[in-house]
Amino acid sequence: MNDKIKIDKLYALSSENRKFSFKLPLKNKIRIGKRDYIVQLRSDEKLGTYILWKNRKYPVEIVRSRQNKYEILFNDISYTFTVETPFSLQRLKVINSRKGMIDSEVIKAPMPGKIIEVLVREGSSVLRGEPVVILEAMKMQNEIQSPVNGRVTKVNARPGTNVMKEDVLVEIKVE
Amino acid sequence: MKINKILIANRGEIAIRIMKTARLMAIKTVAIKTSLEPNAMYLSWADEIFDHTGDASEIPVFLDVEKLIHIALATNANAVHPGYGFLAESAYFAQKCLDNKIIYIGPSPDAIYKMGNKMIARKLALTSGIPMAMGSEGNISNEEEAVRIAEKIGYPVIIKAASGGGGRGMRIVRKPEEMERMFITASKEAEKAFNDPSVFIEKYIDNPKHIEFQILGDTHGNIIHLGERECSIQRKHQKLLEEAPSSALDDKLRKKMGAMAVQIAKAVDYYSAGTVEFLLDSDRNFYFMEMNTRIQVEHPVTEIITGIDLIEQQIRIANGEAVKMKQEDIKLNGWAIECRINAEDVQAGFAPDPGKMESFSMPSDPYVRIDTGIQAGSSIVSSYDSMIAKLIVRGKDRKEAIKNCKMALDKVWIKGTKTTLPLFRLIVRNQKFIDGNFTTAFIEKDLEKYYYNSDYEEMLAAWLATTLFVEENLQEKSINVDFENGKELSPWLLNKRITQF
Repeated sequence: MNDKIKIDKLYALSSENRKFSFKLPLKNKIRIGKRDYIVQLRSDEKLGTYILWKNRKYPVEIVRSRQNKYEILFNDISYTFTVETPFSLQRLKVINSRKGMIDSEVIKAPMPGKIIEVLVREGSSVLRGEPVVILEAMKMQNEIQSPVNGRVTKVNARPGTNVMKEDVLVEIKVE
Repeated sequence: MKINKILIANRGEIAIRIMKTARLMAIKTVAIKTSLEPNAMYLSWADEIFDHTGDASEIPVFLDVEKLIHIALATNANAVHPGYGFLAESAYFAQKCLDNKIIYIGPSPDAIYKMGNKMIARKLALTSGIPMAMGSEGNISNEEEAVRIAEKIGYPVIIKAASGGGGRGMRIVRKPEEMERMFITASKEAEKAFNDPSVFIEKYIDNPKHIEFQILGDTHGNIIHLGERECSIQRKHQKLLEEAPSSALDDKLRKKMGAMAVQIAKAVDYYSAGTVEFLLDSDRNFYFMEMNTRIQVEHPVTEIITGIDLIEQQIRIANGEAVKMKQEDIKLNGWAIECRINAEDVQAGFAPDPGKMESFSMPSDPYVRIDTGIQAGSSIVSSYDSMIAKLIVRGKDRKEAIKNCKMALDKVWIKGTKTTLPLFRLIVRNQKFIDGNFTTAFIEKDLEKYYYNSDYEEMLAAWLATTLFVEENLQEKSINVDFENGKELSPWLLNKRITQF
């Protein structure tokens, strides 16, 4: 980060494209309407890390982070944010406007488990909602379905093998 | 022979639940220590622990009839309680116990067998005059037959495992084109789960309510019911929230359904605690679904509104005592709701999220009962179910129970795995739920998302992400995050669970 550039604001963009802006230097106060509320990050032996806000404690955890991307678990709900400066936000807008439609989709394992059956091959065409893989987890067989209409470009899942959560099972070119 | 020592052929919260009552009755208990959970909380409730950690077998000991019999004999336990799941509905296990002069705390092997085989149960219900959904005469041998029978009954139909239960081996089929695939999946799942691939087909009742009756019978021929439980809040046939009584029943319908439940139990000379499950359609017609020949996960809601300890009743009945209460003695008082707090990620299709409980605390208000086998430091292991705790809340009526439930949900503190808590926070605020206007399709059809967050929660999470970014990238000394009162904390450094994308 070049300290010659004056940054007066940061933006946290949620994965659903909601934008939260925070003035720098960052304070432990958040303004709602005309009032400032104190937000505190704390930790103790019994509760672990938590945020104290308006007299209520919320469990909080940092699940993952890379560069400017953060996955936060707040009161049992996951949120993913990218934190942008006014400059990077501007750049992002330009990039997004140039980028066309997303044309390929990866299907990831929603949970750890064992691949029971692979129902598609490379080159197969699939319809939205069509099952592509049967994944067994906690004794339940789960159909993993294609989220899009398209053509299978790659199959990573192999029957009988175990997969981790988020492992890419199948890649599909959207048609 | 009277029960003086019980082998608990189970683990987790139900093992503790049984041992609590045994302790009150001054009966000794034996729990089994396994290598998967050598420090599990249930062990601390037992008078005696049988160390089974040396066994490296892939099959859990709780599913191994021969080993369990051996353990019962070796520890001089003269009774076995199977809990739920595992061997709780194995006629073979019940019979083996009897063969070895061990008291099985549950129904007769014959009743378990007949009710466990859904085809036999169907026939019994038909001959007892219990209303049933239309279905196949027997098991279906192949896809072609399945298609033919489904045509006759009319779609939608449901494929069910003959030896099934708990939602496994079940598939709803709405179109003939889906039949082949669904038939094969259901059959395979059934074979895996129950060692029996046979399935049958029934007319699928669209959007019913799931209403079940708690039955109590003794070896002297007395059978009564303890009212109903409303278990319509479920996902993929897995119950998530149960309540007792049900707002869908009035006294007249309760009496009618209760009488039918008792009648089907009588058909197998049922004794011990059991549950008769019905589907109730929007015209208030009800259909017999199945009878569960065990104590249910959701039994506490019945205990709360009847004041009857079901485990105590099971033990007394196994001792040959008669059920002293008559049907007219059973009064339903107030309302109870149970939330199954599972280690599941409601934002990722309810994927199991096993892990270690880093911190754990539960509300202790007088209107709350917690049944759990978990404490801080415990692990949720992927080999077993994902249950963390059952939060059971009471109120003088349904409105108060929901209000209390809402408060209690905000007092549960769990860190270490994701849980179904955000879903329950959503359900107790949902107007259809509050109005009692919901069916088994509620979770899949009436909810747009599966979690509730208050207006500011996402903003606070965004603030935290921004704080981390500032610490990492800007490293200005002037950044002033106030940690007064709490320990000074860099969340960045302290967090152990941090991983890279």
